[in-house]
Parts: sequence; C-alpha cells; structure tokens
Amino acid sequence: MTAFDPDASFHPLPGAALTAMRIGVVALALGLGLALALLLFLVAVLRGELSATTWLLVAGGYTLLLLVAGWAWAGAQWRRTGWRLDADGLAIRRGVFWRSETLVPRSRVQHVDLGHGPLDRRLGLAGLTVHTAGTRLAAVRLSGLEQATAEALRDALVDEGEAGGSRRAAPVAGAGHGG
Amino acid sequence: MAAEAGALPAGARRLHPWSWLFVLLAQLKSFALPLVALLLFGSRGDDFWQWELWGGLAGGLLALASVLQYFTYRYGVAGGELVIRSGLLQRNTRSIPLARIRNVSLHRTLLHRLFGVAEVRLESAGGSGAEAQMRVLSLAAAADLERLLQQRGAAEEADASAAGETLLALDSAEVVRLGLISNRGMVVVAAGFGAVSQLAPGDAGDWIEAFAAWLFGRAGSLDLGLLAMAAALALLLLVAVLALRLLSVALALLQFHGFTLRRVNGALAVECGLLTRVRAHAPLGKVQLWTVTETLLHRLFRRQSVDVETAVSGAGERQQQSLRALHHLVPVAAPEAVSRLLGELVPQARFPELDWQPLHPRAWRRMAFWPLLGTLLLALLLALAGTAWALLPLALLPVWAWRARGLARRAGFALDAHVVAWRSGWLDRRVSFAEVAKLQGVRLLASPFDRRRGMASVVVDTAGAGAFGHRIHMRFLPEAVARRVAAELAARIARSPLAW
Repeated sequence: MTAFDPDASFHPLPGAALTAMRIGVVALALGLGLALALLLFLVAVLRGELSATTWLLVAGGYTLLLLVAGWAWAGAQWRRTGWRLDADGLAIRRGVFWRSETLVPRSRVQHVDLGHGPLDRRLGLAGLTVHTAGTRLAAVRLSGLEQATAEALRDALVDEGEAGGSRRAAPVAGAGHGG
Repeated sequence: MAAEAGALPAGARRLHPWSWLFVLLAQLKSFALPLVALLLFGSRGDDFWQWELWGGLAGGLLALASVLQYFTYRYGVAGGELVIRSGLLQRNTRSIPLARIRNVSLHRTLLHRLFGVAEVRLESAGGSGAEAQMRVLSLAAAADLERLLQQRGAAEEADASAAGETLLALDSAEVVRLGLISNRGMVVVAAGFGAVSQLAPGDAGDWIEAFAAWLFGRAGSLDLGLLAMAAALALLLLVAVLALRLLSVALALLQFHGFTLRRVNGALAVECGLLTRVRAHAPLGKVQLWTVTETLLHRLFRRQSVDVETAVSGAGERQQQSLRALHHLVPVAAPEAVSRLLGELVPQARFPELDWQPLHPRAWRRMAFWPLLGTLLLALLLALAGTAWALLPLALLPVWAWRARGLARRAGFALDAHVVAWRSGWLDRRVSFAEVAKLQGVRLLASPFDRRRGMASVVVDTAGAGAFGHRIHMRFLPEAVARRVAAELAARIARSPLAW
C-alpha cells in the first residue's frame, strides 16, 4: 500500500485545525461583507439611490452567503486534508475541487521548518514546511498539525533524510486515525 | 594539505599585466548609469566644472585602485587548494579546495580577445555566486588553471576518457539554419518594444500610430483599390517576416558562431560566440532534465534541438550566465545526430526508443474543449453584435477537433528502469525526460473535469528547473494509470540516494 493507492489511509488534521480554518473563513467573509457594505454606502446610499433597508438586506445577505459557503468549504477542506508518513516519505493530500496528493520522498528532504502563527499558538497548532532541492515542490507546507505531531514528523523526516533514505517507518506520536 | 592556512604557495602567480585595464572598465561599467545621469541632469547648472572635478578625481582613484589590485593579487595552487591573496592594507586570503570547484568558465569579449586574455570564473556546486573571479588571465595561464582543475575532476569522477572529445561542432551554414529556425529576432523586437514603451510611456504608441498614419496616408494618396491594398499589406508582412528572420540569423551567428560541445573528463564543455566567446563547463551528472524540441520549422529543415536544465541551488547571476551557455546543449542538429548524442551522454534513457504509453482514450475531447468553447463564445458575441462575421469563427471548429486529435495522439509518457519521459505538442513537439534517481518529488493532481472523466495528472519535480520550458507534467492519464505511475516513482525515488 502506497500513498497513491486510492484507498490509502491518511491521518486527518486535529479538530483545532478545523476551528482555525473556520476562524479564517469567517474573518474573510466578514471582511468582504464589510467592504461591500462600505462601498454600497458610499456609492449608493449617500446619494439617496438606495434605501437603508435595501442596503442592509443586500450587504447582510451577501455576508451571510459568504459565511455559509466559507463554513461549508472549510469543513470540506478540513475533511479532505490529510497526511501520511510511510516508507516512501511524507504524503500530503488536500483540495476540495482541485485535488492534489503530494509525496516528498524521505531521501529528498533537505530541511524542515516548524512555524506558529498567533492563532496557531493559542490553539496549540503548528505548520510544517518540508524543503527539497526541487523547484515546484521546493517548499511543501502543511498547516494545522498538533504541535507534538509536527515535531514528531520533523524529527522523523530529518533523521531519516540524514540516514540516506532507510526503509524504516518511524513511529509518530499524536497520530490520529486513518481517514 | 597546505602547511599553513592562508600561506601563499611558492611560485604564486599574478594576473595578466593588462588586468588593471579590465578591472577599471568593470568598475566604470557599474558607475556608468550614475555618470550618464550626471551628464544628462547635472550639466544644466552653472557649477558643472565642480562635477567634472569630482568625476575626474573619482576616475583617478578608480584607476589607482585597479593598478594596486594588480600588484597585490596573487594566486597559486598547493596541496589540493587554490589560494588567492589580495588586498593592500586589509589582506584577504581565500583557500578554495579544488574538489569544491565544479565549474570553470572563461568569458571573453572582443576587448579580451584583442589583448589575448580571458576572465576566469571558478564556481562551486552549491554556493551562490562565483568562488573566485580572476580578471584577467592570459590565455596560457587560464588554460593551465583549467587543466589543473580538470585533472582534479578526473581523479574524482574516474572517467576513462582522458582527452576532450568533440561531440558536436556547428559550421556557419548550420548556425544560419539555427537562426532561420529560431525565434530570436521576434523576441528581441518584442523586448525592444517593451523597453521603448517603458522608457517613453505613451510615446511608443504614438510612434506606431504616426508610422501607420504615414503609411496609410501614402496608400490613400495613391488611391489603391482594395485588392492592391491587400497586396501591399501582404508585401509589408512578407518584408517584416524576412527582416525578422534576418535578425534571427544575425543573432544566432552572434551567439553560436563556432559552437562546439565537448566532453572532457565526464564534464560537458560548450564554447561559442562571435564577438563574446563564452566557454562553460559543468559535470554531466548535474544535468537534471533533457528536452528535445522539434518545431514545425525544425522539421522543415530536418533538425532538432536539445535543451538541458542543470542544478545549481541559489546560483549567482554570473553563474547563471555560464549555465545559460550550457542550456542550449545542442542548438541545432539532425535528428540522427541528436539520437546519437543522447545515446552517448545518457545511454540509460535509450532515446528515442522509449516505450511510449498513451493518454486516456478521451483525452482529445478535453484538449478540444477550451478552444471550442472560446470559438463558440466569440461567434455568439459577434452574432449578438449582429454581423455576418459570426459565421467565420465556426470554420475553426473542425481545426480545433483535428488539432486535439493530433495532440492526443502525439502525447504520451514513458517510465522504465531509469528514466521518466513526457512528450507533447502537435506542430511543435517536445520530449522531456529525467532520470528517476534525480527527481525531487511527485504530485498527483485531479481537477473537477479530470474526476468527471476518471483522469488525473502526474507532475514530477526536478532541481534547477526554470520558470518556463517544457516540464514533465503528465496530463490526461487514466486515473488508475496515474496512480500506478505516481506510486512507482515515489517508491523508486525514496530508494535512490540524492544525487545531483
């Protein structure tokens, strides 16, 4: 069984990652809704071409639509995202409509970065960036991992990379269930 | 190893006596822009003499520094290291292990050739920029240094063939052919237009407009019929095309005159150029991706060309320059010669007898979709505008279907014990292949359109790939095949140690 098998099992992201994704899309939807409201207000309401009620309805409806779509998309994205560490290397699956499965072979890992945004720190999450000598896949990123999982993945990838791509599959702490 | 770090070995050598001139010129070059700006904008004031004074003083100081550099710069080889000492007060000594030097390039402009000297750059495998830049050495000294480094390389790579072996040499007729095939003229004209419009915003359009107005004003005064007008336009087009081709030929001669590709101790060496002679070396093993191109014009002349991507992570600008010389590994050659060459350089690829596998049987429909949709939309827009011209785009529909059929039939992938290959294109065909051991990663992609038809793409990543060019992006494969290919590549990359 390899990562590219249609029914290969992938580890899902933790629930906190879904929270982070949802916070992200809600912030984006509110921002876009506010921008539209402001624009409409300046262009139409101030000139008296649009009544305040219509304005509220249009801007509110637009924001609500964005919120619902974003919420659903975040859920789908979270469900679709997964990782898998096996003998070949680290595989990352993602994408709701345009789907991708990326494999970074162990023997090609140059170095690994862990990153934490302000939201990540609060939720105990970490982002993993795996660097290779390649071009398109020069930096493969996976955010929303639990801190312990990210650390374990980093150690496994770096040690294995230095050992010259031995076939031992490293045990990873904090792993979830297969997807 | 060297007895003492930084000790200059006995018999250390100086640069060429004329080196100060080239150092001065290089320094002046970097001051050229401010100098021109000064002349343009500074000359209007009354205190121009002051600027002249400062300029003269700066020039004098630069000349002094250049001469001093000649007297303080020494280099020598001892104990497997190249030692360079420079500086008058602040003495810098740089020791470069010979084993680290992977690339020696000689750069010669017309001026260098007049003086019989060359600028030598020593480049390492991974570092950014040149390890050392020697401005300038006599040709004999440069050859000595080159020989020394190549001997070292030979010892390392244990290649049997001792002397350089010429793999390809282009005569002038062949370079002219290359110019006729290539699109260099067009590129330069486009760049020229870009530069003009950058420098004079709005003006470029005005000039073109003025020219067109002049042209059509003349035509109008001649009172030509529609047919004569069309003939004149066709003639004008023909002249433009001929002029572009001539420009392409001139550029090809400039860049590729006297092109030779040699193999020296497991390294590839390219030398070419009419006024500026460029000479570049790189180990054969550094080549990551091979691309054989055969455009319509190539086929007309029964020729092919080979481009390669070489890996240098974080290469400096200078280094890129010499790698660019290697990029066009075979600028132009007959198909048999290309096959023979690739057979010698990458025997494991077994080009062109690769075991080509087809795409998904319905791939041609996907390839026809966007052009068909675009054409239909155009026809619809024209119809809405109410012109009879709406029927014209419809004539393209069979062409798109024919093209898609051709594309789908010609495209394919191959995966064997050593290489992975992808070919694509209809009139302009390209074949790219890379050694599996040199790949850096694998990605499987499926768009919503792919998933509806049970297709997927496989992308493999190599080091040193540029932003443009033909990549191994295997599209429209049956999903099961794509998964099998990706899985096999993944397993084999993981098993092979990193080598580049």
